[in-house]
Amino acid sequence: MANAHPPVVVAQEIGQVARNFLREVGSVFWFIAHTFEETLERIQHGRVPFRAASFFRHTERAGVDSVPLVGLVSFFLGLTMALLTGYQLQRFGTERLIPGLVAIAFTRELGPLITGIMLAARIGAAFTAELGTMQVSEEVEAIEAMGIGPLRFLVAPRLLALFLLMPCLSTVSNISAIFASSLISKAYFSIAFPYFLDLVKDSLLIRDIITGVLKSFLFGLLIGAIACYRGLTVKGGAAGVGTSTTSSVVTAITAVIGFDTLYNIVYTVFFPT
Amino acid sequence: MVELRDVHMQFEEKKVLDGFSLKVEPQERLVIMGQSGSGKSTILRLILGTLRPNSGSIFFKQFEITRLRRRKLQQVRRHMGMVYQYSALLSSRNVRDNVALPLEELTVKSRSEIDKIVDEKLDLVGMKDTKELLPEELSGGMKKRIALARALVLNPELLLLDEPSAGLDPVIASVIDELIISLSEKSKVTSITATHEMDSAFRIGTRMAMLYQGKVIEEAEPEKFKQSKNPVVAQFLSGSTKGPILEGSQDAITKK
Repeated sequence: MANAHPPVVVAQEIGQVARNFLREVGSVFWFIAHTFEETLERIQHGRVPFRAASFFRHTERAGVDSVPLVGLVSFFLGLTMALLTGYQLQRFGTERLIPGLVAIAFTRELGPLITGIMLAARIGAAFTAELGTMQVSEEVEAIEAMGIGPLRFLVAPRLLALFLLMPCLSTVSNISAIFASSLISKAYFSIAFPYFLDLVKDSLLIRDIITGVLKSFLFGLLIGAIACYRGLTVKGGAAGVGTSTTSSVVTAITAVIGFDTLYNIVYTVFFPT
Repeated sequence: MVELRDVHMQFEEKKVLDGFSLKVEPQERLVIMGQSGSGKSTILRLILGTLRPNSGSIFFKQFEITRLRRRKLQQVRRHMGMVYQYSALLSSRNVRDNVALPLEELTVKSRSEIDKIVDEKLDLVGMKDTKELLPEELSGGMKKRIALARALVLNPELLLLDEPSAGLDPVIASVIDELIISLSEKSKVTSITATHEMDSAFRIGTRMAMLYQGKVIEEAEPEKFKQSKNPVVAQFLSGSTKGPILEGSQDAITKK
């Protein structure tokens, strides 16, 4: 192998990377499937799958505590977007397109995407570090040793919290950005608030809202699954927790952007305007 | 109660168990001795089913652990209690919630019934006053006792203890050992203890097994075990630096 031709080596390395990538993707999907299986099994036995307190603790951390960050970042992005596009559109006398442009862009695309990236960094990292620490201190194994399913007990409430809260946070992001663009529209382009709202209502379609909401649900599931999977597969003590946390954030952000692209391609092909 | 038959276990390149066989009778207190890293904890994990062997069979009562599916394995584990070397208490839950966890998750008992059982088990290990404390507020010995209470909360038939007195001062170590003995006598619990703490091992054990190079090389009652002619056992018990353990000799195995 040492004498292998350079292109062969490169091809082998690409093959290795692709194989690892596919194995990881497969593992995450199996992880989600097993979590569902354990949770449904518990429900079939007439028991609640996890404690309500545990679920609400995660929703508070992931949702309520993320509102200021998501709201603020989206507000600034909304301001910038309205300002930059506004000046370009003004040259053609079409600045009244700003409300629709910002509303559609955020509702359909940027709201879920920005929220997904922020949640991957903020909550995904926290979930991975928390579960990773539990893994290296044998807490996860102790739960398993008691006969309790760790996926149902530890992963399911986190997954459900992110799954349900992502659309709510995306909505916060959309409203913040649209509000910010309304301020710019009023200040720089003399578009009054009632007129701004009329323009938003005229341009925004139900399908834009549905697209954004569906995407948000899936992003929530994806971020939660990657974060928990990385946490429960930590190896190598404290250093391993650090490595897994970094990897979790990078993987989740890449997955969200990649999945968003895939979603848009599929949606555009099967549901053309 | 427990039987391991010709178990082989390897972690990457490292062979940990190499044809390991062992039988544990009901109400016995078996102590597995061996050097650090010899595979004692691995044996406990294999019995629990949290690790799968490369080959061989493991039985707990009539169940073959190695062949059980996840759901059945979870049910079987409810008849076992495990105390980890570093206690493995859930750091985000207080003592009461740690001990109550198996009851809350695996039984349909009411809160008052759970509280009563938790009080009873904490009283048994002498830790009733620590209910509201978090694990980080407890000393090593206290954590061990809480872990023991948690392991006993479902009244298991088999208790697995991984280095129960490691890292504790001699007095607290004796308290833990006596607790294990009294529990096994009162509640008729079978126990398997993995340790290399000599005093603790001879205090707890009704039978001793020496693990060396992946196999049991000596198995006897404590008094007979102390007088073993096996050079590995003799060196291990005396703590001498001269002998087959450090030389990596195979003689000890063949002399059994």
